[in-house]
Amino acid sequence: MAVAEAGSQPALRRRRLRLDLTTPTLLGLPLAWLGVFFVVPIAIVAAYSFNVYSLFPGPHGFTLRAWHDFLHSSVYLALFWKSVKMSLTVSAIIVLLAYPLAYYLALSGTKRKYVLLLLLIAPFLTSYLLRVLAWKVILGNQGVVNTFLFWTGLRSPDHPISQLLYSRFAVMLVLGYIWLPFVALPIFVSLENLDRRLLEAASDLGASRLQAFWRVTLPLSLPGVVAAFLFVFIPTLGEFVTPSLVGGANGYMYGNQIVDLFGTGFPDWETGSVLAIFLLGIVAVLTVVFARFLQPRQVVAD
Amino acid sequence: MDVALSKNGARLLRVFFALVVAFLYAPIVILLIFSFNNSAVPSFPLSGFTLHWYHEFLVNSDLRGALETSAIIAALSSIGAVVLGVLASIALTRRRFRAKSAVSALLLSPLVIPYVVFGISLLLLFHTIGVPRSLLTVVIGHIVISLPYTILVLVPRLDQIDVSLEEAAFDLGASRLRTFRSITLPLILPAIVSSFLIAFTTSFDEYAVASFVVGTRVTFPIYLYSALRFPNQLPQVIAVAVVVLVLSLVVVVGAEVGRRVAERRFVALEETG
Repeated sequence: MAVAEAGSQPALRRRRLRLDLTTPTLLGLPLAWLGVFFVVPIAIVAAYSFNVYSLFPGPHGFTLRAWHDFLHSSVYLALFWKSVKMSLTVSAIIVLLAYPLAYYLALSGTKRKYVLLLLLIAPFLTSYLLRVLAWKVILGNQGVVNTFLFWTGLRSPDHPISQLLYSRFAVMLVLGYIWLPFVALPIFVSLENLDRRLLEAASDLGASRLQAFWRVTLPLSLPGVVAAFLFVFIPTLGEFVTPSLVGGANGYMYGNQIVDLFGTGFPDWETGSVLAIFLLGIVAVLTVVFARFLQPRQVVAD
Repeated sequence: MDVALSKNGARLLRVFFALVVAFLYAPIVILLIFSFNNSAVPSFPLSGFTLHWYHEFLVNSDLRGALETSAIIAALSSIGAVVLGVLASIALTRRRFRAKSAVSALLLSPLVIPYVVFGISLLLLFHTIGVPRSLLTVVIGHIVISLPYTILVLVPRLDQIDVSLEEAAFDLGASRLRTFRSITLPLILPAIVSSFLIAFTTSFDEYAVASFVVGTRVTFPIYLYSALRFPNQLPQVIAVAVVVLVLSLVVVVGAEVGRRVAERRFVALEETG
């Protein structure tokens, strides 16, 4: 027994050395994974948009044709601006709604702060599609809202409020509903980190609560507000699931256009790639410009 | 005097908070009510109590198959994401290397990529290298999008741990791997569990990326999406929705409470030991 142990010891040590957690061992796998399944795929789409590469037979070669057509098309750019406006509106409204919520949690001195925070955030952590489904059930012509109005006689069954579902309004309502809990988080973190002594100092120096809010609290929580805004704006800008479920023709967004260009109807992968890379470029610019507000710590409330 | 809020201000905010929470939970409650409603169309007035829709979905083999597929994909992809996430997080918190900020930006970048763009990118990749779409292609995509979430959970926890514990083990002759196994791993176990749960739920619920790379075995979100087009399936889909929503709320709240309790215990252990 003792002999066997002594004999296996050097072999064990050698194996350990080979398996040891050096920096390349640690980073190799994650970086390789992202390289092959994240960076390369995007590079393929970029190559596709310049017609350097195509899966279909036909003439290839570097050309800016699809990009030129895109930048001079009123249709795609108008759709892009429509999506920007919808996302901006949703983001602005829910940041305004979330601020008081976060303020209440962080500064009212309530003892059940984290319980209430969890209560607020929990819906965000449940199924996205099912929350959209709920609104489909609620907003339809024969849905909960309309049939409730018929039932109570507030509206005649011949005239349902038909703009509720399949409209721009429906898309914005559902997107706002989905993202609202999440938006409160970064604002809460920035308010939570606020040094209350600053507010006491302001008060001692004669500032009213409102003045202290405008001159101290709000400016100091602004990074959280910017982060919150971007956390909604960036994902909703490329959204296609919600508009395809509750948007109808009116709520059609830029993301839906990308899907359709890669779809089965009239596929045009070259143009689709241009639209995709353009969206990615905008998101990348936003992320880089506002990088200092997008610190991961803003999300991890502890 | 409270410097942040007057008494009335606090009262007002409390009411506002309650209203928003009501708004957030109302749709879920409405689904709950209509899942027991004895009518093929979810509309007022309510027409009686039934468990029919729950029974219907229990015997629906397509639906069960989709749930099963999603569970397999979620399990595989969350294990993958946690393994990659642990490796990357240790490198980010314990090692010095060049271009660290660029590496961490790359590791976190799947957080901001529009899923529609990532979906078509993966689709083009799999077309290019001739890999048929399957369960595996969805797993590959889900590992990419879950990875940053695991890192966001693991890095703060690794930052909290006193490095001298690891240094002591290392000085006493343990290899880095042994140090990790005996010291670091037990200390970050709660964070590993919660990052696993986050990755699992992310994958289980993911529609956008999966819709591009899914094979013939559909996932639960993809099944749901297609079921939404057939009104006759709506009531049983609502019943499933209720089960999944309630289960995920329980898991989420349970995981968070569990993590806090576990971490508090660990912090206490660290302080005494």
